[in-house]
Amino acid sequence: MTLLFDTRYLFVRSLKKLFRNPILLFFSLLQPIIFLLLFTQLFSRFASIPGFGTSTCDTANPTYAFPNYVSFAIAGIVLQNAFSSAFQSGTAVVDDVKSGYLEKMLATPVSRPAILLGRLLTDSFRVVVQSSIILGLGVLAFGVFPETGILGLLLILAIIAFFGLAWAGISLALGLKTKSAESVFGIAGFLTFPLLFMSTALSPQNFLPDWMKTVSKYNPVSITVDAVRSLVAGPGCMDVWGHLLTAFGVIALIAVVTLGATLYLFRKVIG
Amino acid sequence: MTEVISVKDLVMIYPDGTKAVDGVSFHVDDGEFFGFLGPNGAGKSTTIKILTTLLHKTSGEAKVAGYDVEKGAGEIRKIVGLQAQETVIDWDLTGKENLILEGNLHQMRGKGLEERVKELLKIVGLEEVADKRAAFYSGGMKKRLDLASVLVHRPKILFLDEPTTGLDPQSRAGMWDYLRQLNRDEKITIFLTTQYMEEADRLCGRLSIVDLGKIVAQGTPSELKGEIGADAINLTFENNNGKDLNGLKGEGKKILNGLQGVTEVMNTDMGLTVYAKNGAYLIPDLVRAFDGAQIRVASLNLSTPSLDDVFLKHTGKRIRVEELSKQYGGGMFARRRR
Repeated sequence: MTLLFDTRYLFVRSLKKLFRNPILLFFSLLQPIIFLLLFTQLFSRFASIPGFGTSTCDTANPTYAFPNYVSFAIAGIVLQNAFSSAFQSGTAVVDDVKSGYLEKMLATPVSRPAILLGRLLTDSFRVVVQSSIILGLGVLAFGVFPETGILGLLLILAIIAFFGLAWAGISLALGLKTKSAESVFGIAGFLTFPLLFMSTALSPQNFLPDWMKTVSKYNPVSITVDAVRSLVAGPGCMDVWGHLLTAFGVIALIAVVTLGATLYLFRKVIG
Repeated sequence: MTEVISVKDLVMIYPDGTKAVDGVSFHVDDGEFFGFLGPNGAGKSTTIKILTTLLHKTSGEAKVAGYDVEKGAGEIRKIVGLQAQETVIDWDLTGKENLILEGNLHQMRGKGLEERVKELLKIVGLEEVADKRAAFYSGGMKKRLDLASVLVHRPKILFLDEPTTGLDPQSRAGMWDYLRQLNRDEKITIFLTTQYMEEADRLCGRLSIVDLGKIVAQGTPSELKGEIGADAINLTFENNNGKDLNGLKGEGKKILNGLQGVTEVMNTDMGLTVYAKNGAYLIPDLVRAFDGAQIRVASLNLSTPSLDDVFLKHTGKRIRVEELSKQYGGGMFARRRR
């Protein structure tokens, strides 16, 4: 009971902090829009290269495939946004460690796990809002509506929230370990680009060089992107259930590792 | 009187090998205003952190309100309040929200909490800015909000780690009044650390003087000062006749020890401190003797014994208040020093 109450209190606290920092709020909302516009403009001609639409389709007879680049890339952009958003988690924890607020909380009988849960809940909430903006913009401005309908949209948000949670774990662990926001951002930047570009996020698999194809196949970003993309393309084109199950399995595995590390380091910090 | 804090042979060694607390024993009775007076690095904050369950001690015994700090940590957290050395509040929240959240974390909610928060905001004089974000508060207001935030759950024992460091004199006096009131009217036991002897002298019913992780003296302020049993004459020298300060101190010491009425002579940074049963009578003799030896005295003052003299007697140095580094060095420096 205390855990639930405390998690809610701390969730509300970090939401307030987010909404009261206009600059932070502005950029967290603008970022997905920029990504959507920038990447889809940059790579828009991809769609006219022979082999683009069908190459990512699993079945022989695609009924939907990807009529334009936005419909293909929206999955990757949603992912990319979740990725960079998740890394803010760690910096928020660094703030609380440095300001002494974590210690202040620890001197109260607050439920210890609630401190982490409140944080993770806030991050998931933020990434769901951001993803909704991207998907909404996709529908309204580019006419990209998932073949799987509203349910598909909700599933996409669920996958993204889960993915964000797993990666927030990495950033939290880094924050607790290094106690430096600069380190979190530095390592995050170092990880983001290789993982993103060596995946099917922005480019179909058959456009990648051979060695990268192999990397991409095992890259969790690709696996998650494919699940989201399958929901966009629909079961007529891609194996939705197969992709979803794989994605949830892989993300769960990552989450166990990253959140496990976070829990371990958190225990060390709180003594 | 029941003991609410009992500490025996407490030792704290940090992983890097620093022995921050080195075999400390003391007790605090219910309703007491107790102080730890000492310079930076004396182990004051470390002791507070162990007593408030934030740090694990290396060895020794420590009990708060009858609970062992390790086994009874959960119980202790419910009944103590801790104000850390740095002002810790959430700047993005309003004053009121800060207090509500603090109450929430102590499992308080609803009407009772609302009223308690209202009452506290009034007491610390933040009613009018209650709905403004703490980021816009002045330094003194932030400190007051910080204090109010650790009082929301009506703690039985209050731990204050250098509560007035960095405050202007006016805010400091206000804080003193308020702390005294808490102790007297609300019967809250207070454990305070400070590096200001004046603060310890005025507030604490009983105190320990600490240095380098050890308690060097313990008692009421008047007991401690009585221990000196003499007036103090502080002398500083000018560099003269080509003699350096150390040479002058040595020569001065010899002269002083030859004078009647002198009980003790101690080295200080800039000169000497002389203790004498009746300081005022000694001054003419002293001046004459130095004149004869052609040593020019830069300054001379007579004082009744202060806690600083007690500290000097036990440690051979004066308490140096590192105000600047504290104020401008920010949280990180303070954190590392513990």
